Amino acid sequence: MNIFRRELRAYRVSTIIWVVSFAVMVYMFLMIFTSFTKDIKDSQRLIVNLPAAVRAAFDISIKNFFTIYGFFAYLLSFISLTGAVQAMNLGVGIISKEDSGKTSDFLLTKPISRSKVITSKMLAALSIILITNIIFNISALITARIVVSGNLDIKLFLLLSATLLMVQMFFLALGFLMAVILKKVKSVVAVSLPTVFTFFIIGALGAIIGDDKVRYLSPFKYFDSAYIIDHAGYEVNFLIIETIFVIVAVSLSYLIYIKKDIKAAA
Amino acid sequence: MNIIETKKLTKYYGKSLGIKDVDLSVQEGEIFGFIGPNGAGKSTTIRTLLGLIHPSGGSATIFGKDITKFGPEIKEEVGYLPSEVFYYDNMKVIDLLRYSASFYKRDKKQVRKRIGELAEYLDLDLKKKIDDLSYGNKKKVGIIQGLLHEPKLIILDEPTGGLDPLMQQRFFDLLREENKKGATILFSSHILSEVQKLCNRVAIIKDGKIIRVEKISNLIENTHKRIKLDLAGPVDKKVFAGLKGISDFKVVGKSISFLYRGRVNDITKVLAKINLSNMLIEEPDLEEVFLHYYKTDEE
Repeated sequence: MNIFRRELRAYRVSTIIWVVSFAVMVYMFLMIFTSFTKDIKDSQRLIVNLPAAVRAAFDISIKNFFTIYGFFAYLLSFISLTGAVQAMNLGVGIISKEDSGKTSDFLLTKPISRSKVITSKMLAALSIILITNIIFNISALITARIVVSGNLDIKLFLLLSATLLMVQMFFLALGFLMAVILKKVKSVVAVSLPTVFTFFIIGALGAIIGDDKVRYLSPFKYFDSAYIIDHAGYEVNFLIIETIFVIVAVSLSYLIYIKKDIKAAA
Repeated sequence: MNIIETKKLTKYYGKSLGIKDVDLSVQEGEIFGFIGPNGAGKSTTIRTLLGLIHPSGGSATIFGKDITKFGPEIKEEVGYLPSEVFYYDNMKVIDLLRYSASFYKRDKKQVRKRIGELAEYLDLDLKKKIDDLSYGNKKKVGIIQGLLHEPKLIILDEPTGGLDPLMQQRFFDLLREENKKGATILFSSHILSEVQKLCNRVAIIKDGKIIRVEKISNLIENTHKRIKLDLAGPVDKKVFAGLKGISDFKVVGKSISFLYRGRVNDITKVLAKINLSNMLIEEPDLEEVFLHYYKTDEE
């Protein structure tokens, strides 16, 4: 419990910054939505005239783009990207910082098992991600309520915004795994940014090529907004893949962390 | 009862050897020295005992409990101070120490009191940030962190670096006091005189193997002194002829240098006969001891 508390405290400021940026992003984007839908004909013409590849790359669906859901989904592709960075920074950082700060000797000579240490850290990271998502969802809902005058399908809206959580869970688990596998993490960002962007680019390229199989390679494409809007649910096979990945990555992280030799600091 | 007992404890880092077949037994209430040159395997042994690294072979128990099975339970009663201390830079000293204390099942009030006492004794400001501390002051945080829960076993891995002589003295006094209260101490060092000052018994490790376990009293008798003499008159080697325990004898001009192993009285009698202009008696460094004592001993 003490490690858990300490980690929450240590990430307090950075979490606030992330949450506030998400809230500001969602507020600004949805405000744009109002002006966008005012002259809907002009806007529509503009979007239709964009090359198909560009639309694919940016996840713009003509059918949905001018509904609040489609527009929100478009915003989510960016929020997911930044959210992935947050989650991966957290996953890599929360575990590797004892190594890079050379504090492992301190922590692991305390009367606590390694599995308890990593459990506390993982739970702290998970809590931070959940807090981020709860605040994000609330601020998104409030903004949508302001923007949309008519009925708002809250379930659909939440299904969409929960894709942020899904993407973050993937990168959080991947972050844990990389933190225990990599011999030395000098800079967390140097690990997380290239990884996140590689997956993002793979996803974007897949969308441009129009190859559906590429979707399996990028968690950014696991939860397709068009599908969610049409079916009010997630695609089961991708949900399974994500779940399996998270379970495997977390279990492996456990096993490796417990067996690992801690190098002498100096 | 043996507080620490290792049986054929072995550790390979990949293919390179850390320690091989280390057999140690440290008895309750002892201050046990662990001495050897850098890279001999002192830290490897200690880190294995603490569960920071996993043994490749052999076994070890602390308080009679297997180190791989009862790690957390054992560590409840162990205090550890590494040679290089690193803590969370952005934390205040007091917060770090309280965080450290929070891992042990101890009475909170009592631990806080003890932190205060130790800090006062070592002259450490608890309100400072870890980041702003000097090397020596960080070491003090390490000492308090290792002792605040009044452990039954104190493990020290080359702990004196960064402490000035006065602090070193206080630190040693503190250890003696803990020892009197019943704590067993494992003290690793590459400085012979340090170990001599503090320990009852000592294990000597070289190239990953224990080559000897001795009582300190034996070691002091048997220890070498590096003696350097500047003579006022001509050099007469015959004076030393009857004296046993001289090695590495060198004469350069009017200066003589040699290693002496034996009773101090014997050598002073001889030296009294010589017309000296200057004399220097030094502790040989450990390398020299190994080179001239243990090598010739094995032959």
